[in-house]
Amino acid sequence: MQFRLALAEDLTVLSLALTLVIVSAWLGFALYELFNRRVRSLSLWLSVVLATVGILAVLLRPVRVQSRSRFVGARVAVLLDRSRRLLLPDEGSTREDRLRQIVKQLSQRFQGARLSFWGFAEGELTPFSPDSPKSPQKDESDLQDALRQLSRAAGERPQSVIVVSDGRFVRPSNEASDEELQRLLGSLKAPLHAVAVSQRAPRDAAVRAVHNAGAAVAHQPLALNLEVSCSGGLECGELPVVVRELRQGEQSAELAAGKVDLRDKESARLELQITLERAGTRLVEVAITPPEGDEVPDNDRRILTFNVARERVRLLHVAGRPTYDVRSLRTWLKANESVDLVAFFILRTRQSTPMTLRESDELALIPFPVHDLFTEHLPSFDAVVLQDIDAVTYELAQYLPAVERYVQRGGGIIMVGGPSSFAGGGYAGSSLERVMPAGMGDPNRPYDLAEFFPRYTDAGRAAPVLGSLRDLISEDLPKMVGSNLLGPPRDGAIVLWEHPARRVGEAAMPVLSLSDAGDGRSVALSVDGTHQLAFSEFAERTAGRAYGALWDGLLGWLMRDPRYEAARVELTRPCIAGEPAELRLTPLPGASGPVELEIEALGRSSNKIVRRAALPPSGPVLLEPGSLEPGGYSAKVRVGQAPATRFDFACERGGVAFSDSRPDTQRLQRLARLGGGQYVDRERVSQLPVPAPTEVATERESAPLLPQWLWALLAALGLGWHWIERRRAGLA
Amino acid sequence: MTPSTRRSCLSWAALSALGLFAPAARAFGESSAFNPRLLSAGSRRAAGVRDSAAGRWSWELLRRTSAPSRLLPSRVSADRAELWAEPFAIWSGDSDVGSLAGSELRGLDRFFRLGGLLLVDDSAPENPVFGGSARRELAKIFPELPPVRLSPTHVVFKSYYLLDRVVGRVPGKSVDAIVRGKMAQVLFLDVDLLGALAREGDSWALDVGSGGSEQREYAVRLAVNIAMYVLCSDYKDDQVHAEWLMRRRGNSRR
Repeated sequence: MQFRLALAEDLTVLSLALTLVIVSAWLGFALYELFNRRVRSLSLWLSVVLATVGILAVLLRPVRVQSRSRFVGARVAVLLDRSRRLLLPDEGSTREDRLRQIVKQLSQRFQGARLSFWGFAEGELTPFSPDSPKSPQKDESDLQDALRQLSRAAGERPQSVIVVSDGRFVRPSNEASDEELQRLLGSLKAPLHAVAVSQRAPRDAAVRAVHNAGAAVAHQPLALNLEVSCSGGLECGELPVVVRELRQGEQSAELAAGKVDLRDKESARLELQITLERAGTRLVEVAITPPEGDEVPDNDRRILTFNVARERVRLLHVAGRPTYDVRSLRTWLKANESVDLVAFFILRTRQSTPMTLRESDELALIPFPVHDLFTEHLPSFDAVVLQDIDAVTYELAQYLPAVERYVQRGGGIIMVGGPSSFAGGGYAGSSLERVMPAGMGDPNRPYDLAEFFPRYTDAGRAAPVLGSLRDLISEDLPKMVGSNLLGPPRDGAIVLWEHPARRVGEAAMPVLSLSDAGDGRSVALSVDGTHQLAFSEFAERTAGRAYGALWDGLLGWLMRDPRYEAARVELTRPCIAGEPAELRLTPLPGASGPVELEIEALGRSSNKIVRRAALPPSGPVLLEPGSLEPGGYSAKVRVGQAPATRFDFACERGGVAFSDSRPDTQRLQRLARLGGGQYVDRERVSQLPVPAPTEVATERESAPLLPQWLWALLAALGLGWHWIERRRAGLA
Repeated sequence: MTPSTRRSCLSWAALSALGLFAPAARAFGESSAFNPRLLSAGSRRAAGVRDSAAGRWSWELLRRTSAPSRLLPSRVSADRAELWAEPFAIWSGDSDVGSLAGSELRGLDRFFRLGGLLLVDDSAPENPVFGGSARRELAKIFPELPPVRLSPTHVVFKSYYLLDRVVGRVPGKSVDAIVRGKMAQVLFLDVDLLGALAREGDSWALDVGSGGSEQREYAVRLAVNIAMYVLCSDYKDDQVHAEWLMRRRGNSRR
């Protein structure tokens, strides 16, 4: 039990100040007068003192405070690094295991204190439970942000802060000045101690960093700046480096290779140029061949995701004869600013008789450069349109395997109908047939002469690729005069228009169909009359705009324009190998039907992971394919009857987190020094100082020292006595 | 072998052979094939020997190029919806067309707005009344676009043959055109091209004057080039052709 005197508790600072000013003024005036008049009366001096004490007592109303208190342990905040770097190996164990041992040691060392454990990585501080087996999830850790959050938190401030980490956090960086760090650490108003979870760098060769100068644009060289490291005393010498593009259905393609010299160096840089031919999401692997003794194999390769842009769609348009259908397509393509068109039309057949003396001087014809186009230049095109061209007559047939590979590797192809298209052009049974959405048909009966109106399928009604066309002309289509006779649709192909009368097996014959093929896409249009959407009595209804709507959709879908995808697919968080992955599907408004997810590893054929879900009335759908191995993956998600949306993503075990496996104890030491605390390794946790306990009041009672009326009486007596004494001394 | 000799070697048997495979092509691909339709517009409806020229035009196109073409072209009226069915028509005559009816002007306007191309061929260039009246009436549709003279490097002179002259039944100097955007929408000829192509039985219907068979050959070539311009637009202006054609024109001048 403790006792002490205090002033009345309802006094504010303002009222206290006002009281002191008034009383001081009065006292000063009185003393000045007594001195000035040279008053020697002791009783007058005493009356001044008594009156002053009385007035002060009335105004300040002193109280007696009686209290009880006890001591509690100091509050200590422990910040634990929760980046995935903690999963790196450390002398037969992992840094994560070391961290958990340190947590136990801290709990013992600070038994009397109130310890609170917080995990820091990227984003908010999260409470850490030593009993929770949850492993670190985030790539990087930001101590600067964590300290700011701690200093701004409401409630009791910690008396001591302990950081447990390997020191390789992104902020504060080693470049931060002492002043900056002191400002940051000063905001804690408590000493900061640091505990290193690891002190020895593992023997490790790693792809430490990959930077690219500028954005990735299709067909344009891109410089990759690689930093390769060799640490922990490992002898690396010259390390081979290779850059590959991961592709679906085939082995990854080598884009560049080189060697990095790490003799007598801990890290070295290498610049390699790569060219990505296809736009969209492309996965590129950078890998080194590590020497013997590498303890961290998970950072020997990185899989990078490039969103490859294209300046313009580079399109090759090859037509076997000039027709109104060719005219309409060329006119539309030439008018489209986003298309870089390269066109070759066969204007003369072998039977043509141009009636010239010297053809070279009189004709404006050039040889069809079929060899150059379909060998050297083919990869430079984003898409190829083959329109009514005989593959045998014009020697295209021998290059069809190359065209198939081109599509498998991400190219787009559209075959437009005509007497020399599909089976009529010698394409039946060719390798190109394997990547087309429908069979090429029977060479003995390549086309049909009957007039018909193409009919929309359910998929055609649901597909965004035809959405603009349907908005313009509903489901009306012009009458087609004949059609190529196609085979059944390939597995996974989507038929958008079908023949109303002709059948292939049980189903109607496809007229307009599309499909994914490897990394590429293909479209088969079995009629040569879509020009009637541009120029005809039918077209006059829309001033010819329906033609643009159709071809904008077809070319856009071929080029993976998000406007023509049935849904948007994305990862909810970075995919970590061995951890459950999660995909979010956001369907277009109005989409209906079940959702089917199919995930396949890029590269040679592999087992597919299939998941099905129902589409909720609104909002996204979360799909869980489970844990995946490191590598590149292609997810195809189909909503109802609409064409599938493809999403490629990478899963890494190490990733950015493992890129630099060296602990940075010097940074921890510096922080502890500037933060007024101590740096210790995991062996010396017991040497950390424990802050003094905090006194906390448990009971408190206050009572007036004297009743208020007694103070008032004392003041009145003092003032009255002073008045009498003044009169006696002859003062006014 | 001169062009005329080769031409004489060509028999109507070839035409018959073409006619034999024509039905299949007509059924599938017909709607895409070149069709030199004759336009009827104005108070004076021209008819006569030049009606056969359109068929001959198609025949020559089939014989000389890979372009499919309709051997029996049709006639269309400016005020009928059939005009918008295809992007090409020929308007020929030898006298003042009078004032076009509102429905005809509207029909032609829609034809041009869809991107159609009209060839105005004066059958009597010696007394160019038709050409003048056609320009006057078309100016009502294109008030802001007066005809301009096409340069000798225009794509119509290299769309199939390399041409350095403009001839029909009579020789001419140039081709005028109404150009909208990058495309010519009206071509004005004052050489009676249809007169040079017109047939009567197994022979040419009209003499071509002093130029003889060579002049007629060049008239055919002009017709073929115009057809190719209709079908391929400015294809021969593409960069991939430019260097090659410049070199070839240099050779021909030497």
